[in-house]
Amino acid sequence: MQPSCNHCAYRAERPFCEMTPDATRAFDAIKVQSVVGKGALLFAEGSTSRGVYVLCEGRVKLSICSEGGKRLLLRVAAAGEVLGLGATLSGDPYEVSAEMLEPGQVAFVPREQLVAFLRDNPGICMDVVRRLSDDLHGAYDRVRSIGLSRARRARLQRVRSIAS
Amino acid sequence: MLSPYGLDIIESCLTCKMRADQIFCDLPDQALQSFEQIKYATAYPKGAILFVEGQAPRGIFVLCKGRVKLSICSTDGKTLILKIAEAGEVLGLSASVSGKPYELTAETIDPCQVNFVKREDFLRFLKEHSDACLRVAEQLSEKYNSACREIRSLGLSHSAAEKLAKLLLDWAVKNGEGAKQEPRIKLALTHEEIAQMIGTSRETVTRLFAEMKKRQIVQAKGSTLVIRNKTALKALATT
Repeated sequence: MQPSCNHCAYRAERPFCEMTPDATRAFDAIKVQSVVGKGALLFAEGSTSRGVYVLCEGRVKLSICSEGGKRLLLRVAAAGEVLGLGATLSGDPYEVSAEMLEPGQVAFVPREQLVAFLRDNPGICMDVVRRLSDDLHGAYDRVRSIGLSRARRARLQRVRSIAS
Repeated sequence: MLSPYGLDIIESCLTCKMRADQIFCDLPDQALQSFEQIKYATAYPKGAILFVEGQAPRGIFVLCKGRVKLSICSTDGKTLILKIAEAGEVLGLSASVSGKPYELTAETIDPCQVNFVKREDFLRFLKEHSDACLRVAEQLSEKYNSACREIRSLGLSHSAAEKLAKLLLDWAVKNGEGAKQEPRIKLALTHEEIAQMIGTSRETVTRLFAEMKKRQIVQAKGSTLVIRNKTALKALATT
């Protein structure tokens, strides 16, 4: 397990993790590092948001669910991504479920600490805003592909091609 | 004073009375003063297009008054309405931040007052004011949330009836009538527009409304719709 972000080998390649030494120290102080197994649920759709998960290692399946229990896979997140950002910042329940596809490592940051951290580090706050924008773009693309292809089969094919 | 389109134009954000209620606008004084310097207050008539999907981002539009229809379009010209934005929302935000083309088309459905801020000015403003930056993050999160809801309803609903029932129940809640036995909804959209909101055809929407009226689930009184049988509508929404 990687106790401090300072010694992380991947840091330079990951936009969120590449912070100034001061910010890294502050981030180290507020994060809770943990190792998670395959199939572990980081958070479930609809549950109260507690904070964000920075994915250090492993892949995560992001999906949404209907009331009837049908599941739609949104995308697979890779290492270096920040999960649960939207819900944490707006204070709404998590909008998706995140489940580990393989054993990995995450750094959890509780909401209050994150907001204070972002307030102190405008550069990282901008990065967060950029990330949220990208997420939103991806979601709109998805709405377009699902909502505007009328034929059920075409829709199904799209869902499958993204899933595979 | 004569004002365009019968709008009462709010000249300055500093004296705006609605400020406290809006997520984005409720900024600390210092940030507000510098926002005041980079914004352009403009008025648009009904039916004006603020930006078109695919255009390079020019900047953000803060909606002060009126309502704006946000829609996306497929390559063969089909339209899907994502949302009707109301006063206090910031439009074109994610495109301006990321530099990617606008992902939606925004068209006014009432006369609107809009504060426009150029992209470069806005990005500089965000860098200088971390409070504003957090507000923007919050707005983006909310938009993301509603996009996810849209994906859920479009991707996981079986029938148009289910989607229409969900939409009506959503509107009832939004109108503050969610808890009532017989909620009332003001129908501000045409059948065509409702069809575009749930990704179906105008004919289907008209047929579904007729069926619901026949089964006494809803009743139309002018442009107001009364939900007579909430249980039946809820059952339709969860099939």
